[in-house]
This record gives sequence, structure tokens and C-alpha cells, in this order.
Amino acid sequence: MNGELLVFAAASAVAIVSALAMLFQKTPVRSVLSLVVTFFALAVLSVLLAAPFIAALQVIVYAGAILVLFLFVIMLLNLTQEAAEKETRVVHRFLSVMGVLALGGILVGVTWKAGNPPVPITTSPNAIPVLGVDGEIPLLGRLLFTDYLLPFEALSVLLLLAVVGALLLSKRRFE
Amino acid sequence: MSPATSAAAAVSVMAVAPQAYLVVGTILFAIGLAGALLKRNALSIFLSIELMMNAVNLLFLAYARMRGDAAGQMVVFFVIAIAAAEAAIGLAIFVALFRARQTVDVDKINFLKW
Repeated sequence: MNGELLVFAAASAVAIVSALAMLFQKTPVRSVLSLVVTFFALAVLSVLLAAPFIAALQVIVYAGAILVLFLFVIMLLNLTQEAAEKETRVVHRFLSVMGVLALGGILVGVTWKAGNPPVPITTSPNAIPVLGVDGEIPLLGRLLFTDYLLPFEALSVLLLLAVVGALLLSKRRFE
Repeated sequence: MSPATSAAAAVSVMAVAPQAYLVVGTILFAIGLAGALLKRNALSIFLSIELMMNAVNLLFLAYARMRGDAAGQMVVFFVIAIAAAEAAIGLAIFVALFRARQTVDVDKINFLKW
């Protein structure tokens, strides 16, 4: 059981440190690469939370597809010269940092206080199986095509719309 | 193993306090919020928003594990799929914006501000 604690501590430390690195990096490419590390650490945390399928999705879709798309666009736009400009928004920065610290503190406090485990739904047919016993993918697949059928179909339409919209936006000339 | 016993086991075997996951998720959310407020490059702001969505995903997974219910995992599935669509559209908008204005600095793109 100590192993789980060890993995949790390592993964969350990596996630938070690389997220901070994302925040403080000046060039967008380095920000994206730091965020890739964060997402891998989040995938490890997902495995710890008995969600290996979500962890795989995290790595494949987020780290593998979305962030590569970001890198692609950043390199396409050639944004390196903008990174050197000096920061001038002093009041904005001060208020942002204060607001983030206040909101973050409140959120951490509230989730810590209210996070006591509610009564588990042990009788639910949607109960998550233990890691390695049967796997959760059959359960998620069944849910996807029964309880979540309408959102699933709506999602496919949304993805189609996104493809068409992205094509349209990149074809058209804006003046 | 029946669903009932497996769910009870899934809740009971957690060696790390579930609140620890929630705290990690909220810290990541706050970092993402700071990035969205402080960054000037529109792509970096977008990246910070992705981090915020992932932090919330972690909270969903933690609550799903606490309750022993897979509904939270389904929500995360949909969030990831919608994030993919959103990234495609958002990046296309930035490419179009860069073509029109030759910048993605949010301080210089203020033609909707006044």
C-alpha cells in the first residue's frame, strides 16, 4: 500500500512542477512540452484512480493529438519574436496573482473539507470494477451505448462540425 | 465478483486519501487559471485552459472512485472528446487571426474591446 502512496506523491509532484514550468516558460513551445509532462503525470494519477482507459485516452488524445496540434500551429505561426517583449501590465498582473491565490485557496479548502467520501453506490450496476479483475472497458462501452447513447451521437455530430468549421476557418480570408 | 462487492472493494482499497487527489486537481486548476490570466500569447492562454480542463477531469475521476460509480469516468470521456473538437476550432481561429493581424498577442487584438 505504500507503493501507491509513493507513486501518487511522485506523479502529483511531477504534475504540479511541470504545470508551474508551463506557467513560467517564456516560449510557447516549451510551455507545450511542459504540459505534455503534466498530462503524462495526470495519466498516472488516473491509473491510480482505477481509470486505466481514461489514462490511455489522456495520453493518446491529449498528449498525442491535441498538444501535437498545438506544437504544429505554434511552429507554423513562428511566434518566437513575440516572446521577448517586455511585460507592461503591472496592475493586471498583481490583481491576477491575488485573484488566483484567493480562488485557489478557497477551492483547495472547500474540496479538502467537503471531500469526505460520500456513501458509495455499491448496488449500482455502474459500479467501477477493481483494477485488473475484469477491466472497466466493457462497463464503459455498455454505458456509452445505453445510458449515454444520445450524448455519444451528439458528440459525433459535434466532431463533424468541428472538422467542417476548422476547414472553413482556415480556408476563408479575413480582412 | 459481483458489482456490489467489487465496488465496495474499489472504495476500500484506496491507500491515498481521496482528498489528496482533489487538492492536486484544484492546485492544477489554479495554475491553469493563473496562466489564462497572466499569459499574453493567445496560444498559451488556450494551453492554460486545457490544463484547467484536465484538472477538473482529475476531480471527476477522484469523485468517481470515491463513489464507486463509473458516471464520472463517462463525463471525463466526453470532456476529452469535446476538448479535441475545441482545440481544432480554436487553433483554426488563431491561424485565421494570425493571417489577418500578424499577431496572436491578446493586448494587440483588442478590436472588440471598445
